[in-house]
Amino acid sequence: MTGRLFRLAWRQMNVQLHVRIFNLYSLLLFFMQPAIFSCVGMILSKAAGQERPDLVYTVIGGGMLGMWSGLIFTSTFDINRDRRDGTLELIVASPTSLGVVEAIRTFTNVISGLVSMVAAFVVAILIFNYSLSDTNILGALVSLVVILFGMWAIGVFLANFLAWSRLSGSLVEFLEIPVALVCGFMYPIWILPDWMQAISKLVPIRWALEAFYAALLGEQDLGFLWKRWSAALLLSFIFWISARWLEGKVHDHIRVTGEMSSI
Amino acid sequence: MNNYAIEVNKLRKIFTTRAGFWSRKTKTTVAVEDVSFNVCKGELFGLLGPNGAGKTTTVKMLSTILLPTAGTASIFGLDVTEQTQAVRERIGFSFGGARGLYGRLSAVDNLRYFAELYGLEPSTTRERIPEMLELVGLADRGEDRVETYSSGMQQRLHLARALLHDPELIFLDEPTVGIDPVGARELRKAIKELVAQGKTILLTTHYMAEAEELCDRIAIINEGLIVALDTPSVLKKRISGDTLFEIEIMNKNFASLQAQLQKIDSCLTVQITDAHPKKIFSVRTSQPDKVMQLLSPFLSSQQILELEVRNQTLEDVYVSIIQGEKA
Repeated sequence: MTGRLFRLAWRQMNVQLHVRIFNLYSLLLFFMQPAIFSCVGMILSKAAGQERPDLVYTVIGGGMLGMWSGLIFTSTFDINRDRRDGTLELIVASPTSLGVVEAIRTFTNVISGLVSMVAAFVVAILIFNYSLSDTNILGALVSLVVILFGMWAIGVFLANFLAWSRLSGSLVEFLEIPVALVCGFMYPIWILPDWMQAISKLVPIRWALEAFYAALLGEQDLGFLWKRWSAALLLSFIFWISARWLEGKVHDHIRVTGEMSSI
Repeated sequence: MNNYAIEVNKLRKIFTTRAGFWSRKTKTTVAVEDVSFNVCKGELFGLLGPNGAGKTTTVKMLSTILLPTAGTASIFGLDVTEQTQAVRERIGFSFGGARGLYGRLSAVDNLRYFAELYGLEPSTTRERIPEMLELVGLADRGEDRVETYSSGMQQRLHLARALLHDPELIFLDEPTVGIDPVGARELRKAIKELVAQGKTILLTTHYMAEAEELCDRIAIINEGLIVALDTPSVLKKRISGDTLFEIEIMNKNFASLQAQLQKIDSCLTVQITDAHPKKIFSVRTSQPDKVMQLLSPFLSSQQILELEVRNQTLEDVYVSIIQGEKA
């Protein structure tokens, strides 16, 4: 069973990467868009009177935004392509559940998004001489893994929602910037108004990201980090359970409406 | 345990669509009204009907892609709505056309992916992929990207995908559409081989000759209802004994011929097609001698441009049934 799942995951990733590898849109999505946001962040911080830009919030924040945007747009792209090409029907009517396929796809999309983060670190270190000497590297790595898990859990939920109807894609794409805003991708979360912070508490990425940035800025207090990791993992788990519930609903709904095809 | 591969009882599918933002308008479309039929194990069953008759919707309900609104259907005794997973493992389907394949992948990579979705063991996948590509005549193009394939090649790849997991029952929705005559003949040969191996096939097609050549039994579906169901030979007997005259005549002579034909009671149907500057009469009759007698003055005065006399084909039966329904 596990062997079969790994083979399916490998094959599914292969399909996604083959379909997308020559896709200029993906390159723009993962590299150009975060770079533009980072530049805007730097200009704003300079305008606010800072001598040098805050690399964690601007450059690494740009990488974070690249990961999140990548997840949103590649997930939407995948499902729209399947609708257009008529492959969604074939997946739904195969013995493998759509939920498993969506989970693997989302995993691929989340991992693909790491290229934005890696690029952001390369830019921060090589161009802006960012030093990792004060960084809690282990804390940052664990936080990054928790971020990836949180993104995956949200992504699986959204992927199921995307399969629900042709309209879902527009609604999911609409979430890109609001989630980035409330989670504090490019600024400290505490500068947000209380009501926005309250909303962000429901998003697992917010907690993991807070731990990630803190670890990058040298936070060594394990209690501080644990608290955030735990909150992120708990919320991620809730998203995952919700995704499983939604999966069954989606499977029945699309077989009633026939919305598996764009023509 | 019965001998049926497919049992369909009063199957019905209604699609409901909603439009408008402020005032939501609901529109319902009855795609399948009331369909009942059985298909025996090892049978090649044809589903014929005009566009929008409900053929594809019926096949999609049987292949678990759509949920019926009402009625029941079972595959090898397994309910398509309740035992979905078990049904999916035992069926294969192909909806044809350029859709349903990953164009940027090779045929081999497409098949590998679907092999994983159907849970095939790696050793089985390694054996089956070359076998299937050989069967559909794509062995030498297996590593090429599917987007470089002609529509006929894509159609054949659909069949290879449908057969990959060696299903007992195969749904083929218009499998020869877009294929050249040679390719279509090869595909029909492959379908016959599958039936010889004991597979059950449900085929939908627009090509009457294909249905007549391949199918053990045929159901004609129109506006979501089965309007005829039998073997091709029995269906032909429905209007057999009748002879079909196709008469091409210039417009100026049309009225007098029409008046003469109306005098004959045995003219079962008279159809007139306008092909300016001439008209084509299609006359179905049980008394060809009478019609011939009537036509002889027109023939001798060379008013008739072309005359064809032939026996009924399945196509005539189909046209007669569908037009009878419309009337």
